[in-house]
Amino acid sequence: MDAAGQLPLRVGFVGAGRMAQAIAQGLIQAGKVEAQHVLASAPTDRNLCHFRALGCQTTHLNKEVLQSCSLVIFATKPHVLPVVLTEVAHVVTAEHILVSVAAGVSLSILEELLPPNTRVLRVSPNLPCVVQEGAMVIARGRHARGSETKLLQNLLEACGWCEEVPEAYVDIHTGLSGSGVAFVCTFSEALAEGAVKMGMPSDLAHRIAAQTLLGTAKMLLHEGRHPAQLRTEVCTPGGTTIYGLHALEQGGLRAATMSAVEAATGRAKELSRK
Amino acid sequence: MDAAGQLPLRVGFVGAGRMAQAIAQGLIQAGKVEAQHVLASAPTDRNLCHFRALGCQTTHLNKEVLQSCSLVIFATKPHVLPVVLTEVAHVVTAEHILVSVAAGVSLSILEEEGAMVIARGRHARGSETKLLQNLLEACGWCEEVPEAYVDIHTGLSGSGVAFVCTFSEALAEGAVKMGMPSDLAHRIAAQTLLGTAKMLLHEGRHPAQLRTEVCTPGGTTIYGLHALEQGGLRAATMSAVEAATGRAKELSRK
Repeated sequence: MDAAGQLPLRVGFVGAGRMAQAIAQGLIQAGKVEAQHVLASAPTDRNLCHFRALGCQTTHLNKEVLQSCSLVIFATKPHVLPVVLTEVAHVVTAEHILVSVAAGVSLSILEELLPPNTRVLRVSPNLPCVVQEGAMVIARGRHARGSETKLLQNLLEACGWCEEVPEAYVDIHTGLSGSGVAFVCTFSEALAEGAVKMGMPSDLAHRIAAQTLLGTAKMLLHEGRHPAQLRTEVCTPGGTTIYGLHALEQGGLRAATMSAVEAATGRAKELSRK
Repeated sequence: MDAAGQLPLRVGFVGAGRMAQAIAQGLIQAGKVEAQHVLASAPTDRNLCHFRALGCQTTHLNKEVLQSCSLVIFATKPHVLPVVLTEVAHVVTAEHILVSVAAGVSLSILEEEGAMVIARGRHARGSETKLLQNLLEACGWCEEVPEAYVDIHTGLSGSGVAFVCTFSEALAEGAVKMGMPSDLAHRIAAQTLLGTAKMLLHEGRHPAQLRTEVCTPGGTTIYGLHALEQGGLRAATMSAVEAATGRAKELSRK
């Protein structure tokens, strides 16, 4: 097995879409792997050009990726993955570490399609991996041990925050963090539009809204404080904040948000069962 | 007038609470001013100890700050400010640049990711506005706006910190309902906020555009978005900004 720092690590990607590109870019920019040691495969050149632009190798043959890389990340669309795994199963060895980022494809399905004892891990990423501030969870298959899990976690930390969880949490992560990106966008837009209603130009309002999100998120993360505690600190008696919070509560913001995570998670579980 | 890079810049603070500490810390950490060239005044030592811990000078005399610093930031509680200004007015000269920190400047300046706006008075010119903007960029994003926008900024960004906290907590609690432990859920929620905000800022994209990119047909996201709409999240959020801004304008008139 190639280990970072000993033999140069060769990382392969089967599927070359946005998530694959985001992870590859993160790994390369953080110096976790050299671009020339990254090989990506896809049916056409439509996405492979982005890999070549990063300095990576490319191919149209999925098999070639398995044959030249020991760590392979499968980033195809979920419905395509079973076909692809069946196609390459015969070149998979005990040395391989195979990683799936496909939503809704369970470890047991992955293991069924691959030779017995294959080391398989499953990652649920989210889109901000493209700016190296993703939120990712890893679930390990039956034959993946602590060392490859740690290896993968170390690599993926190039793209943001990454932690191992029981597989049962993966669908929840999809609902909270994968779909959560869209929920945050909706919230940011609404904050800005409130300001636009009050007379602020749209561009400025959107900029300030996003900056407020960023700064608050950073405080929550770096200080490890409970959001309710931080909220209390901002509330001057009779001040502007408590007036606004009352409106949030009257509008049922919390219930709507919880329902969104619930609905997205429920759909993730549904899709997993298909 | 002291200008950064010529005579050493001396920055004074009247009022030494959390906001003053945050700005001072940002300026010092970014190397915009040396700690020894910062002088803060407050009635008691309760807050001044934090300034001394940074290496700054302290005093109980507001007048002293005006007399030794040309750039003075007033960071008292709003209701105290008129009294303080009256008290020091007789030592203010044409060389002074006086800055008032408006109610509701976002606490996120503590993380050097603040959102600040500056409005200039009649006699403040472009050069001192730029000087101040350059200094405050140590604490985050900072831009000059017409004074009419300051109350809106308070409602959106000052109070907005609390709105974001509420939203983050609700995201996490949705996940807790679905079976995720609380600590993990809170961590992921905040990280999702951070990553999404970074994408919005760095790529300058409209949030509706980014939202569309995350929506696979029939996928998890669109199911969640429908619930958000059914719950009226947007209306609640707009109302919050409106209510906070309205209160800011009310307080300004008192």
